[in-house]
Amino acid sequence: MTRLYLNPLPVRIWHWINATGFVALIVTGVQVRYVGLIGLMSFETAVDLHNWIGFVVIGNYFIWLLFYLSSDKVKAYHPDLNPRKYFRETFRQMLYYGGGIFKGAPNPHHPNPYNKFNPLQRMMYQIVMLLIVPVQFVTGLLLWDVKRFSGAVELLGGVRVVDTIHVLVFIFFAFFIFVHVYLGTLGHTPTAHFKAMFTGYEDMEEEPGS
Amino acid sequence: MNTSPKVLVVDDDAVVGRSFDRVLSQKGYAVSTALSGPEALNEISGKDFDVVFTDIKMPGMDGFEVTKRIKEKCPWTPVVIVTGYGTAANEATAEVLGVSGFVRKPLTPEMIEGITLKALHEKEAGEAAPQAAEAAIEPRPEMAETSVWKTVAGITKNTALLLAAPFVGLVYAVSLPFVGLGLLAWFGGRALVRRYKAG
Repeated sequence: MTRLYLNPLPVRIWHWINATGFVALIVTGVQVRYVGLIGLMSFETAVDLHNWIGFVVIGNYFIWLLFYLSSDKVKAYHPDLNPRKYFRETFRQMLYYGGGIFKGAPNPHHPNPYNKFNPLQRMMYQIVMLLIVPVQFVTGLLLWDVKRFSGAVELLGGVRVVDTIHVLVFIFFAFFIFVHVYLGTLGHTPTAHFKAMFTGYEDMEEEPGS
Repeated sequence: MNTSPKVLVVDDDAVVGRSFDRVLSQKGYAVSTALSGPEALNEISGKDFDVVFTDIKMPGMDGFEVTKRIKEKCPWTPVVIVTGYGTAANEATAEVLGVSGFVRKPLTPEMIEGITLKALHEKEAGEAAPQAAEAAIEPRPEMAETSVWKTVAGITKNTALLLAAPFVGLVYAVSLPFVGLGLLAWFGGRALVRRYKAG
């Protein structure tokens, strides 16, 4: 069994702080939003916790960003500028998830530290990490102190618009976490990807090659 | 040390040779590649190499035979097996032949550099010149000068690609169903035409 070092330490630190932070943000966010329905903590406590955890998660994002900006492993997030190749590999991966995986077919994607995501994951993480997450940070920051950022809030269409974007992205992330955990079980063993996110090493299945 | 350490990469897949070349040339090594066993032996006959990397499965002459012939001619040259077919039996055979390493594909640039350094260290240690190994692997001065610019250019390129990535991803995500339907219509249409013509 070959072992590949796919998840460097800064990425693992970022990942687990981020995971804990996201769960805590979802719980406190639900408490803030549905104050009459849920009684986990007082409204004030939920708001304070949500704000503090939000800043921790924003700071933590920069661990991830700075690591990748200073590492050639950032190639894992680079866009594939060859559409023909991209669509061919994407449909191959979709066929695997839609059928091959249930018949024990080999995964068409062979990860390495510079190409650790399959085409579907790559597309998803590019959009999530580089667009949706920053959008959530910005809207969260604006809602944290509406008065201070009143100019920016008005520019975006008012508090209602900013709040709606923040809540829609929150709903997306609440679902994303479930999908993310499910896909995490699709390694060569159900716990393989989880172990890799603790140890950094992913066990690769042997395949006859050159 | 004035001369660069010389590395020979033997693999019928030219991409492997290019990968080694890309990684090691930047570090001051002189990399030669061969696509077959006979080509590798021809290289070896005309030049002394500091380390040889070879694949196992190659048409004509396999990596074990290449290793055996190299060891017969230059027993002091470290040979490292690089394979995607890393079975225990292959590893045992490689050990009997006296290889300096047995590594499995795919290899990262760090792994390529690491195994090269290890093989060179072993060679230098074998020649009772432990400090020479350190000197042999030092990058050449002109490479150090350009490395700052390379770093700046690399960070700029990374940032630009990262900024573009989510938008390229969005374009792909939006166009994916249309491309899928288009392909389905194309192949379905072709199959129908073929059936119509056959009928």
